Amino acid sequence: MNHVLLPRSLNDLWSAIRDFPEAAVYAGGTDLLVKIRNGSIPPKDLICLERIEALKGVVDHGDRLVILAATTFSQLLQDPAITNRLPVLAKAIACLGSPLIRNMGTIGGNVCTASPAGDTLAPLYILNARVELASENGVRSLPISQFILGPGLTLIETGEILSAIHVEKPHPEAIQHFEKVGRRNALACSLASMAAIIRLTDDGTVLAASLAWGSMGPTVITCPEAANRLIGQPLSLDRLTEAAAIVRKAVCPITDIRATADYRRTIAGNLLLRLCTLQMESS
Amino acid sequence: MSINCKINGKNTEIRGPADRRVVDVLREDLGLTGTKEGCGAGECGACTILVEGEPRLSCLMMAAQLQDQDITTIEGIGEPEALHPIQEAFVEQGAVQCGFCTPGMVLSAVHLLNCYPEADRSRIRRALSGHLCRCTGYVKIVDAVEAAARAMGKEIKP
Amino acid sequence: MTRDVPAVGCSFPRFDARSKVSGAEKFAADAYAPDMLWAGAKRAGIAHGRILAVHTADAESVPGVFRVLIRRDVPGTNRQGIVHKDQPVLAGQKIRHCGEPVALVLAENREALKLALSRIRLDVEPLPGVFDPEAALKPGAPLIHAAGNTLLSAVIQNGDAAKAFPDCDVILEDCFEVPFQEHAFMETENGMAQQKPDGALVMTVSTQAPFRDRMEISHALGLEFSAIRIISPYLGGGFGGKDGATVQCLLALAAMNANGRPIKMWWDREESFVAGYKRHAARLYYKLGAAADGTLNSLECRLYYDTGAYAHLGGEVLELGMEHAGGPYRIPHVLIQGWSVYTNNPVGGAMRGFGVSQVAFAIEQMMNRLAEKLRMDPLALRLKNALGRGDRNSSGVTLVHSTGIISCLKSIKQHPLWLNQADWKARAGRFKRRGVGVCAVFNAMGYGRGLPDSAIAKVELTREGRIRVYGGVSDMGQGNTSAFVQIAGDMLCQEGNQLELILPDTDRTHPCGSSSASRTTYTYGNALIRACQQLKEKLIHRASLVLFLDEPVGLVLLPGRVRHLPSGREVSFSTLAAMLPDSDRMAIDQHVMTVASDGNLNASGFILGFPHAIFSYAAHLAGIEIDALTGGVSVLFYLAVTDAGRIISPQGVEQQVQGAVAQGLGYALCEDVQLRDGKILNPSFTDYIIPTALDVPEVASMTVETVESTGPFGMKGMGEVGMNGPLPVIAGAVQDAVGVWIRQSPVTADRILAALDVNKGVGRKP
Repeated sequence: MNHVLLPRSLNDLWSAIRDFPEAAVYAGGTDLLVKIRNGSIPPKDLICLERIEALKGVVDHGDRLVILAATTFSQLLQDPAITNRLPVLAKAIACLGSPLIRNMGTIGGNVCTASPAGDTLAPLYILNARVELASENGVRSLPISQFILGPGLTLIETGEILSAIHVEKPHPEAIQHFEKVGRRNALACSLASMAAIIRLTDDGTVLAASLAWGSMGPTVITCPEAANRLIGQPLSLDRLTEAAAIVRKAVCPITDIRATADYRRTIAGNLLLRLCTLQMESS
Repeated sequence: MSINCKINGKNTEIRGPADRRVVDVLREDLGLTGTKEGCGAGECGACTILVEGEPRLSCLMMAAQLQDQDITTIEGIGEPEALHPIQEAFVEQGAVQCGFCTPGMVLSAVHLLNCYPEADRSRIRRALSGHLCRCTGYVKIVDAVEAAARAMGKEIKP
Repeated sequence: MTRDVPAVGCSFPRFDARSKVSGAEKFAADAYAPDMLWAGAKRAGIAHGRILAVHTADAESVPGVFRVLIRRDVPGTNRQGIVHKDQPVLAGQKIRHCGEPVALVLAENREALKLALSRIRLDVEPLPGVFDPEAALKPGAPLIHAAGNTLLSAVIQNGDAAKAFPDCDVILEDCFEVPFQEHAFMETENGMAQQKPDGALVMTVSTQAPFRDRMEISHALGLEFSAIRIISPYLGGGFGGKDGATVQCLLALAAMNANGRPIKMWWDREESFVAGYKRHAARLYYKLGAAADGTLNSLECRLYYDTGAYAHLGGEVLELGMEHAGGPYRIPHVLIQGWSVYTNNPVGGAMRGFGVSQVAFAIEQMMNRLAEKLRMDPLALRLKNALGRGDRNSSGVTLVHSTGIISCLKSIKQHPLWLNQADWKARAGRFKRRGVGVCAVFNAMGYGRGLPDSAIAKVELTREGRIRVYGGVSDMGQGNTSAFVQIAGDMLCQEGNQLELILPDTDRTHPCGSSSASRTTYTYGNALIRACQQLKEKLIHRASLVLFLDEPVGLVLLPGRVRHLPSGREVSFSTLAAMLPDSDRMAIDQHVMTVASDGNLNASGFILGFPHAIFSYAAHLAGIEIDALTGGVSVLFYLAVTDAGRIISPQGVEQQVQGAVAQGLGYALCEDVQLRDGKILNPSFTDYIIPTALDVPEVASMTVETVESTGPFGMKGMGEVGMNGPLPVIAGAVQDAVGVWIRQSPVTADRILAALDVNKGVGRKP
């Protein structure tokens, strides 16, 4: 019989962690409880964050947003700050799991699970996300690209939780694009995903571009070289094709039961070609 | 360990291990077998219950998480002699075949029509996308929720 | 329940819908009892090996463990099976597949059960395994069973295929492969059993064949079959995967060792994948010859079905596949050879479409290739060769029963979706390619020759004056029991809320065969019609006595009463019921399905099944869109036109069609039991992909109503035929969209992309 603690405040949380230092922390449980059931993680005491209001919500600080870690995906999809200012993230969340999973799962959980296929991760990387880690001793923050080391591996330390994610708001006129490739249209592990934030001038020339790919390596792959190749020209098929070739060299996907490395590499570039349909939308 | 919550409108005290799955508490301890288990891993939706009105997967909830919550299971939606309009629509539209996925589908539909009384087929499909059904091909389930929306809309309007 | 009198031919709400939609209906999985134990099997985890020892001491010492059983604790023959009994209840000497049960744990709760199972250790001498049916047939291949790796081999011949090929203007050859498919019913295999002090066994189990289960348990464990009572509630899905003992023998063994306590076994989803039965994987070699005008002339096939470690119904699945290998077409010269082969893969068993889904893909792709070669419209080619009543099919059987495939194809031919396809395809967006596919499929009904397809129906006037139908055949969601109630209500003119149904219970209902083979409404329905007719005559006669009439003339049944029309006088059902002795208040009658009378058929090797006489037919049409960047296939429209004879419940037929198409789309696009050395790599819903509500399109269903004169009210079974259409129709649509010939399923995005020639300048390699 293991303990399941339900702290109501951060102070309660720190007490709980002190009393049960071996406990696993979860919010929605859609990753952790599945892993305990299938034996990847042994049964243990649990601390659930779902009742801590101080860990929920989105705070607007002008040029950046602070997304509190235990906010569920459904709550984020209902928040105008997310849907209006961070559509690249909203689109990723909208195709994550299922409505039921979105009612329970949280963005903090998705980041800490650090799956190479984590749906929110590519958007968070190009939003220059910083993760805030809290413990009873205080708070520290670091860029998400430093926080996530590899599949399932982060720099979180014992006694810490991921308390918030800070993201920069992109320029209001930037195009924010996200596409996920899965084996079906819901309840699908991402085989490949691409997040893009593109700024165009009035005549359709690319001013700035940020690109990131998920499920293409142990962590998110950003490929600035491909992004830079797009700058100074409209988003033509030819230009995107050149950039696609660069991306295919930059990604290091694996072959697993879901897809081959070859397929992933091919579509990593192909997803970039989709951007030429955006050119038509934006003009 | 003792947990106090409300289930289908009734104050309920639950005794037992804190890490017992809610689906087991409901089915085995409380005899509420309308909530089903199809996969145990959150992938099929058969174990769906409403927590404070929101659909959740009871196979991925620990008993401790029931504390102070207002829970609705399929038994709280209607009875064979007094069905909810959504359930009536399921019956009439032929949306029930083997029936194992049905309770979960109904609960998500209840939540959907509460939030979006005029949900169209596309939105209905999306709302039900976490529920696997192996018998119906989903079409008549979507028909049923659409029909229920129409019927309930007529009731609300004066 | 409704107050209407059901009318055959009009949709009637499912009798069980209200209790299912409110969560009140109890499935087998919902059975719990005080003082109950849990049972679970230890699965081998390796595909082929010799058992040296099974160490159970560590499991036995887990707190809460009641007993641990191994092979030596199994009485009787320790062999289960439907036709061919080759499957151990608990393996003693040999492991033949990863799901092989080697020990059985009885425990007080599931936590103790899980812990104990993890503590059982096996000493196994691994043996080289074989995982491909052709490899298993080669000399020197590892032997799965001592008698050899061929479960069954058979031949069907007509004319002289070899001699006919040189006369053909076109000859095409090809090879097709399909994987194992999982039933993926939402309610996994389960049951609860208890042994009474006198040794009798009572079991509630999710099963498609409660009466046959008794025989299987009896043979396996040495119990008297009449001392076994099996109750079969509504199943949460079956599709063939609960035909044949799943938990039954293990559970009976557990109950015999539980000191009279009730004991429950419920396979979790992973165990259902690992240990449950599957649709056979197959490799199919085809050679088709035709004239320049498209007339089919000659067909040779070699069909290899992978039946996995045990027989289950592997011979019968092969038989049905071979009977359907030529499609619903006239082909004068055929040589069809088939092998059902043991391997160390999971067990191939019964699944909706039963051997036909595999060959439907092959023959329809051959037809598509032929159409392309001859520059003929694929629909026209099919119409040209489609079977009509009076023709001989490729087994040589003369089609004397309803044969509606031509009408189905004609419906598609005049449908706007077919007629407007050029416009529709032209509207594809950037990076998208659209294609349209059409197919013709069929599926036999019933067991065929060699096994009587029979049912015994009982209908009763209860003491309260209601009508009770005793249905001995399981309802796995197809709504057959609703059709029974509908038939009884219509024939006896009783309102829905005066009708009762008893689900299969070997103590209360009579044997009616298995819920399978698209047979249940036909065979039981025919028996029920006779029983209702008997009961009707009886009630009229008894009423005439009560009313002191000279003759039982002019009397009619009405809701709850009998009326003498000439005088207007009535007697109520409850009055009649009170006056009749129990044995007089019921009628029992039976039906055996007609079989083909054809003699002189040139086929050999089959044990039972060959040939079948009555078939349902369908033509399917689908429009797909391929994303050229990802290879992903979306199905944008789907139309199924089905010949199911006369329709008892239109809604019921639609339900079956839409469900079968959804399962078929899964088979076509995303379902794949991925195996490596006999081990399933994706034994969960995370990685075994079945379609969601966002993946299945609107499926339109039309029927062409022939009259199957031998069927209840002219109907025939159609629950399976819809399953056979999606894979061929998708394959045809892919060819139409992007010029790629599909020879392997599922048709996944990466397979499409690998075959596609994407825009110039975009290569596949970095």
